[in-house]
Amino acid sequence: MTTIVQPRPMLLTLALLLLVVIWLSLALGPVSLPLSETLLAGLRMLGLAVDGDTTQQAELILGQIRLPRTLLGIAVGAVLALSGVAMQGLFRNPLADPGLVGVSGGAALGAAIAIVGTSMLGGLPPAIEPYVLSVCAFVGGLLVTAVVYRFGRSNGQTNVATMLLAGVALTAMSGAGVGLFTYLADDATLRSLTFWNLGSLNGASYQRLWPLLIVVVGVALWLPRRASALNAMLLGESEARHLGFDVERIKLELVLCTALGVGAAVAAAGLIGFIGLVVPHLMRLLVGPDHRVLLPASLLAGAGLLLLADLIARLLLAPAELPIGIVTALIGAPFFLFLLVRGRS
Amino acid sequence: MRMKALLACAGLLLSQVANAAEPLPQRWVSAGGSLSEWVVALGGESKLVGVDSTSQYPRSLQQLPGIGYQRQLAAEGILTLKPDILVGSNEMGPPPVLEQLKAAGVRVKVLPAKADVPTLQHNLTELGELLGKQAEAKALIAGYEQRLQDQAARVKQAQQQQPAPRVMMLLSHSGGNLQVAGKDTLAAWMIQQAGGQSLGEHNGYKPVSNESLLALNPQVIIFAASRLHGDAARAALLEQNPVIAQTPAGRDGRVVVIDPTLLVGGLGPRLPDALAELTTAFYPTGKALTAGAGQ
Repeated sequence: MTTIVQPRPMLLTLALLLLVVIWLSLALGPVSLPLSETLLAGLRMLGLAVDGDTTQQAELILGQIRLPRTLLGIAVGAVLALSGVAMQGLFRNPLADPGLVGVSGGAALGAAIAIVGTSMLGGLPPAIEPYVLSVCAFVGGLLVTAVVYRFGRSNGQTNVATMLLAGVALTAMSGAGVGLFTYLADDATLRSLTFWNLGSLNGASYQRLWPLLIVVVGVALWLPRRASALNAMLLGESEARHLGFDVERIKLELVLCTALGVGAAVAAAGLIGFIGLVVPHLMRLLVGPDHRVLLPASLLAGAGLLLLADLIARLLLAPAELPIGIVTALIGAPFFLFLLVRGRS
Repeated sequence: MRMKALLACAGLLLSQVANAAEPLPQRWVSAGGSLSEWVVALGGESKLVGVDSTSQYPRSLQQLPGIGYQRQLAAEGILTLKPDILVGSNEMGPPPVLEQLKAAGVRVKVLPAKADVPTLQHNLTELGELLGKQAEAKALIAGYEQRLQDQAARVKQAQQQQPAPRVMMLLSHSGGNLQVAGKDTLAAWMIQQAGGQSLGEHNGYKPVSNESLLALNPQVIIFAASRLHGDAARAALLEQNPVIAQTPAGRDGRVVVIDPTLLVGGLGPRLPDALAELTTAFYPTGKALTAGAGQ
């Protein structure tokens, strides 16, 4: 555990690994494309005039199916892992995950309202229907997180323990709300709801990708600027305050980044568990607790792991596919147990 | 002169392209239980190369590659089957996947899933055209309407001699809580078409307590069991829910077991047989016009 790691080579390795996984994610799929065609199609998409008329299908699969899906995977994986680091730092608890401040529960409630509501109204105008689910999930996540944060505030201070308990309570309440909508839903709607709760990168398209990418880039640029503050928070809140950090402001920023990032990720891909919990852990083992290294490492590993999980999800049962939440939980939970056992010995 | 000849050539080519643009699709992927059944009924089974998870009947369809649940289709997976056409109900999705398939040159045919006769006529006509079986489709529609009319006549006749029985349809998913079919369900439509009085006052399928089950006082119970058939299903129902034995239906042994796949995805080809069977169960002395479909 106490090995001193050179951060730079480690980050470089992670970045290289991520590149390999991105390549796999673009090159592999249920439709097997010859390597040469994938390469040609890639070059053509970059605007290079390479001739080859057999590459039309390859170009379509690469450009319209695999590339948006890979970008979505990178964005969602990265932001979930970053939020995990932020939450574990904020609560100074390695068990914290982004769902703890209520954002996942709120998003699930928003999605349930959208899915069941749409079906009860018998459909919405086609111009807005595709966006209703994402917007409701995002807004639901933000609202519940805002309420949780508000509960944690008293006398101009944020009590993290109160916030944690409020998060648990409001997540339970959101769960009850989802349950109520489950009860109201008909069979087909119920299945949509179940699938949404397991997450999927399926059906990624550029129109829906941009809002998420903007949020993720914002969060990915902002959080590393707070790395030293997060390090100081590890010592304790008053210690961090004595070191000159505006602790209340940092807390607000961490909650805001998590709510925005996870909210946008969940809105785009549904609930995907365990990335936010396991990746920060794993990276702490590899690069140590220094947030200046931990944050970028988690970003790279989160994106890579989610892409790998997605690769399994789409290849295992082809031509059908598995919800990705099942894969991440199947990989994540045993790994978490392994960490627990290892930590004990 | 040369220009004209060229134009003529181009025109000829274009018209040929236009003729060839809509050949009958040969490789079919079907998403939606009753649509797949109709494709088979129209003689298109050999053209099916993949079906979704709701296409459970006829059983031979389960041998085909599965494309997952109709609302969670995966574009690339479906493309591996090299389909010419994807047919499905308006529940099919997600929409971006349908767009991707269209971009890849797959015809995507979305048909309404409403459970009524005009929708069925429309869907069968469309499927008949796509399969090149217009005459068969017409015959199927005419036969179906005829059977529904016969059914209505038979019910009318039976109701002159006996009042409509109080009927409750129960659904069970492998031993879980029993759900009672309420209003706005295909189950309620079937009960009514078969000449019964549907008891569920709620919308959709909802779990109901044993006490309200007794209070509903059903004379006939229809049990849609997912795995068991006939007597085995009946025995399992009574064993798991002793309270059912206390209802008039349970006392008189009037429990009918049906296949739950009948209730999914609009009016299917097996429905008239099922209705005839139900009417026979509702009016025990009324003479059957058609032999009941065995279950």
